[in-house]
Amino acid sequence: MPSPAEPGEGPSYSGRVAGPLAPTRTPESTVEETADLDRPWVTIVWNDPVNLMTYVTHVLRELFGYDEPTATTLMLQVHNDGKAVVSSGPRERMEHDTSRLHAYGLWATYQKDA
Amino acid sequence: MRPFRPKRGDVVARLEPAEAGVLGLLLDQLEQLLTADADDVDGDPVMARLLPAGHRSDPEIAADYRELTESALRSGKTDDLAAVRASLPADGGEVRLDRDQAGAWLRTTNDLRLALGERIGITEETEPPEDPAGEEGQQLAVYYWLTALQGSLVDAVAAGRR
Repeated sequence: MPSPAEPGEGPSYSGRVAGPLAPTRTPESTVEETADLDRPWVTIVWNDPVNLMTYVTHVLRELFGYDEPTATTLMLQVHNDGKAVVSSGPRERMEHDTSRLHAYGLWATYQKDA
Repeated sequence: MRPFRPKRGDVVARLEPAEAGVLGLLLDQLEQLLTADADDVDGDPVMARLLPAGHRSDPEIAADYRELTESALRSGKTDDLAAVRASLPADGGEVRLDRDQAGAWLRTTNDLRLALGERIGITEETEPPEDPAGEEGQQLAVYYWLTALQGSLVDAVAAGRR
């Protein structure tokens, strides 16, 4: 995931381009690629009209070992915002987490972190 | 129905004969879906909800995921279903479940609600039927009965964990 540039690391202006059109990042692709490899995958639970709120909390506690406040916060995020990231890590582990959630009937997907 | 409640490490409920009969029929229907030829249920929205895509936008990743996980997910669901059937008194009566059996009941009653919910088009705005007559009213009544059963089971299991 790209992080904000540290002070002093940003592009320095030579004076040739100034104002709002000044480039804000270097065009080299290597920076992007390195960041892409480091970017973790995430497992997302999506809201649906069937799964009970208490059941979603129960499943998050059961599968990920979250304590009740953490599981409840994530469940409410799913309920109110439509989705929540419930775990992150290597692709294989996110596949596994997604299938464990599917075994419980939660609507889950995995993807590279945006 | 007397809903589930924790009792000495187990969870216990009591079902009326008619309720046990309905649950048995629903289990049969779910089993038929899960064991049907792939061609016969291809594109069925209920199957898409029971075995969802693993990735939202990348068909290649979604296909990889399906190949890796689908058969284990299917057999997990049919194992759960068999465990529920084995602990369901066919003529009604007491249902007493240990921790593993309670897990199977939680997952299977959830699958039944997902399947039924998809068939009858449950949304966030759907409410219990005022008049449970007619086919739609009856299906809704069954859906909300399952919701009450599963809801009490979640609460009983959570109470037993404390």
